[in-house]
Amino acid sequence: MSAAQASGEPQTSASRDSGPLRVLTDARYLAMRAIRESLRQPGVEITNIFIPLFFLAVSTGAIANFSERGFGVDNYLAFQLPVAVLQAVAGSSSASGIAIVLDMERGYFDKLLLTPASRWSLIIGRVWADAVRAIFFASIMLIAALVAGSGMAAGVGGAILILVIAGLFGGAYSGIGIFIAMRTGNAQAAQAGFLLFFPLLFMAPAFAPLAVFDDWLRIIATINPVTYIMEGMRGLVMEGYAWPVTEGGQILFGDDGLPQTKDPPALHWAFVSLAGFSVFTLTIAALALRARTRAD
Amino acid sequence: MSQRSPTVAERLFEQLAASAPQHERDAGLAIEAQGLVKHFGDIHAVNGIDLRVRPGQVFGFLGQNGSGKSTTVRMLTTLLRPTAGEASVAGFNVLTQDRQVRRAVGVALQDAGLDILQTGRELLRLQSRLYNVPRGQIEDRVAHLLDVVDLTEDADRRIGGYSGGMQRRLDLASALVHSPSIIFLDEPTTGLDPVSRQNLWEYIQRLNREDRVTFFLTTQYLEEADQLCDEIAILDAGEIVQQGTPDELKATVSADVIYVQVEGDERAQQQAVSALLPLPNVEDAQWDFNEGIAVYTKSGHDTLPRVVRSLDDEGLPFSGLRLARATLDDVFFKATGHRIEPGEQAGQPTPGAGA
Repeated sequence: MSAAQASGEPQTSASRDSGPLRVLTDARYLAMRAIRESLRQPGVEITNIFIPLFFLAVSTGAIANFSERGFGVDNYLAFQLPVAVLQAVAGSSSASGIAIVLDMERGYFDKLLLTPASRWSLIIGRVWADAVRAIFFASIMLIAALVAGSGMAAGVGGAILILVIAGLFGGAYSGIGIFIAMRTGNAQAAQAGFLLFFPLLFMAPAFAPLAVFDDWLRIIATINPVTYIMEGMRGLVMEGYAWPVTEGGQILFGDDGLPQTKDPPALHWAFVSLAGFSVFTLTIAALALRARTRAD
Repeated sequence: MSQRSPTVAERLFEQLAASAPQHERDAGLAIEAQGLVKHFGDIHAVNGIDLRVRPGQVFGFLGQNGSGKSTTVRMLTTLLRPTAGEASVAGFNVLTQDRQVRRAVGVALQDAGLDILQTGRELLRLQSRLYNVPRGQIEDRVAHLLDVVDLTEDADRRIGGYSGGMQRRLDLASALVHSPSIIFLDEPTTGLDPVSRQNLWEYIQRLNREDRVTFFLTTQYLEEADQLCDEIAILDAGEIVQQGTPDELKATVSADVIYVQVEGDERAQQQAVSALLPLPNVEDAQWDFNEGIAVYTKSGHDTLPRVVRSLDDEGLPFSGLRLARATLDDVFFKATGHRIEPGEQAGQPTPGAGA
């Protein structure tokens, strides 16, 4: 291509240069780059596998023998599987913030900002890559637990749903790291974003059902969106898929405006929480990007 | 651009020879700015800059670190929002038509901004995609640019293993993927070895001469500004203090300069300056800690013996005396009151290299 071609027909490239489709195309290229980044740093990623597997093993080893007597959970490995999945996903999705800060420090972020690609594609590309990585790490947790005998009450469909939830949670979680990176441009701060994972995951029914929690912790867990995501997945592993109740082909809605289901815990709460969580994290990430690229 | 291949500049030229952005010629100014201001809190980085760069010009910003060069480039290339003022690049407003500006220009910032985990080829490929180079042309384009900057052999190695010079070359190639009609280069040769520097100069000159690509470059090297630029703006503390062609600028100082190193403290220097200023033909005399006293004169031959006599009469010993033609250095000194001292980084790898 010659410059005459490129600069002589700005109107044609302009039309191909904008619009939501263009944003997604650019985001896909950036996501591919982010995934390539992971593949080239396997050492960084290995901890995202090792730590949750380790916790899965030791918590099951310590608690499984009295979990039924203690709080009525007969299959503690299955009870712990969603925790391992969420832990792996949160760990891997925390990396985006650090990666963005590194891009900023090396000046590559400026180079990306200098291209005609939409600013939004910079965020969407990271979120996209994190969703893909989340599904990968969740699959490893799932396979490990299944091999160890957790079982999957909801069958293949349940396993797929768990991966979908993991992907959505991964995309949403990466918004936190992106937000911190955009606001601070600081690697330590982005690293510290990982710490958020402790309250989010452990102020939820990670080790025991909510019913046995102390009041203070139960109240916190009740307003923690991760509680519902965790319990939705747990329902799939331990109880099966809770289909909405239908009557004459119509889904019945309960007093809360949500579809009624046969068996609590209902999966739809997981999706409602995921939606709320993603809207929150991605909005703060988008606002922070906007502030960084427009303010000064 | 490298010692291995002295013909890189020629190849750069050849491959871009067909790329004359003809329409730019009559399309008004390539870069225009009025009252451009940038404050970072209390720091006034840029204090009201006006610019008019015609298509096909090589326009240079000459100034020291912290004079506002990079800040101006970042405003013109849409990375920074001006505190006040307006600017347009390639006919597009940098604030309201930022995406059109980004599409029209190629930019290589001061530090080569690269991703060390990608290979050179991958980086250029991604860059081409984000610049919307038609899919079918990307591989050829990338291969071509790699060849042009002499990185074909290293194309599939990770950038983290590149030397500083290689990273600079790759950075430059990445600014060219979409064949821009205006190219911004922020201190393009800082960190390059002399051979690479010379090659880059040739490349810029050929691209500009044959293809009328407009260049806006910043530099702290007087020689670079003198050799390359059609027009130079001397920047000091965020303001343009002098502007013109290299010849025009040199004409603002006297034809000759006599450098004299007077011994003694600052008072002795002041005394010497006072004694030298009234001499016939002397237009100005200034003292600088490093260079000594510079006496600007219309006629060095007549003035030289008078300088000697005058200092003798004052009883001021001097250790050095030199007659020279006025250079851009003198222009810079006269305009800013200090000598330009590049933050010397030549030969050192840029940040991020060798990781």
